[in-house]
Amino acid sequence: NLMGARLAGSHVDTQEPKTNPLVSLSDEPETLYKRLSILVKGHDKAVLDSYEYFAVLAAKELGISIEKVEKPPKTIERFTLLKSVHIYKKHRVQYEMRTHYMCLELKYLTSSTAAVYLEYVQRNLPEGVAMEVKKTKIERIPEHIKKPVWDTLPQVEEAEVKS
Amino acid sequence: VPPRTERMAVDQDWSSVYPTAAAFKPASVPLPIRMGYPVKRGVPPPKEGNLELIKIPNFLHLTPPAIKKHCAALKDFCTEWPSALDSDEKCEQHFPIETETVDYVSSGTSIRNPKARVVTLRVKLSNLNLDDHAKKKLVKLVGERYCRETDVLTIVTDRCPLRRQNYDYGMHLLTVLYHESWKTEKWESEKSEEDMEEYIWENSRSQKNALDTLLRIKASENVSNVSKEELLGSEVVTNYRNSVIALKNEGETESNMSQYKESVKKLLNIQA
Repeated sequence: NLMGARLAGSHVDTQEPKTNPLVSLSDEPETLYKRLSILVKGHDKAVLDSYEYFAVLAAKELGISIEKVEKPPKTIERFTLLKSVHIYKKHRVQYEMRTHYMCLELKYLTSSTAAVYLEYVQRNLPEGVAMEVKKTKIERIPEHIKKPVWDTLPQVEEAEVKS
Repeated sequence: VPPRTERMAVDQDWSSVYPTAAAFKPASVPLPIRMGYPVKRGVPPPKEGNLELIKIPNFLHLTPPAIKKHCAALKDFCTEWPSALDSDEKCEQHFPIETETVDYVSSGTSIRNPKARVVTLRVKLSNLNLDDHAKKKLVKLVGERYCRETDVLTIVTDRCPLRRQNYDYGMHLLTVLYHESWKTEKWESEKSEEDMEEYIWENSRSQKNALDTLLRIKASENVSNVSKEELLGSEVVTNYRNSVIALKNEGETESNMSQYKESVKKLLNIQA
């Protein structure tokens, strides 16, 4: 339990800054995510509304900037089947499936913040609701694209031309 | 036994009643909720023994104070975004390559989704170290994946079974395209006028026609033979050249057509 671990450590050192013993720092640079787009799909609009309130509040508390919250219109998939097992073609029954959507776009996250937020939000995903997460990662140009290789390898080029 | 709701204080800690996601227990929730379709001349049924309230997913474990407690505990694991990159343009300038990946979460018999291995790589060509010939060759090699209006090259990789493999393949494609566009093959010198992306006035029919006309005008006026270089360098010819290039490259607009008209009038010495 996270709360228990913090309380257990804090009464030992009151003068030093309290460091969470579960947090581990690593030296490798974080990958940056320019945009995190979360699309939530469900059959019930009320469930999605409550989930939107929860996700927006969680993002605000963790300090993540929210770009926009969209509610695309619902899609209804309908199909018509025969009502009876055998004959009675004129008597049919119609079913429909309503899918409501909610799109949440977050800006400027680091990989650890994104991992924390996504895990929290996905663990509390209600039953019967699906989610698609689009991550846009930004990175520098890798070393091998900075300059063309042909300038530094003249002998290899001649061998290629001959073959 | 009286239900627990009668012994609950108003200012109790609700996150200890519902710490995790749980089904709706009517004896633990002190709210007078009614849910369901009412009978004729009646009200919706009460919460005791109400299946509708148990079926629907409830958010009783995620009240605002509970969310705030969770986030306060999770805040230690988050890192801050570098404050120097606060606008999209700065991100574009320092980190030009964008990689887009999609994750899918759904309930079902399997957690795998075959669409999850698609990787999309986007680069602006102005950020890569390309010279004129390399850029034209890259655009020709890449074809539909390059958008001229926004100068963005998009590579969508799908052919490998794992996402990491697709990402590596995408970077490999980018590297290969970059290096191949810097190479000049022998057959590239056979590039004809139909292959050119933009209109070049030198060695074109328009230049030959203009020079021809000017030479004939000068010959009919019996002026001493002026050389081609002088004609090419003269102001009227450069005006004509600029207007023809603007017309061909940018299309026909009001200003382009009027510029062409003015330059032709000056070239042929017609005062309208």
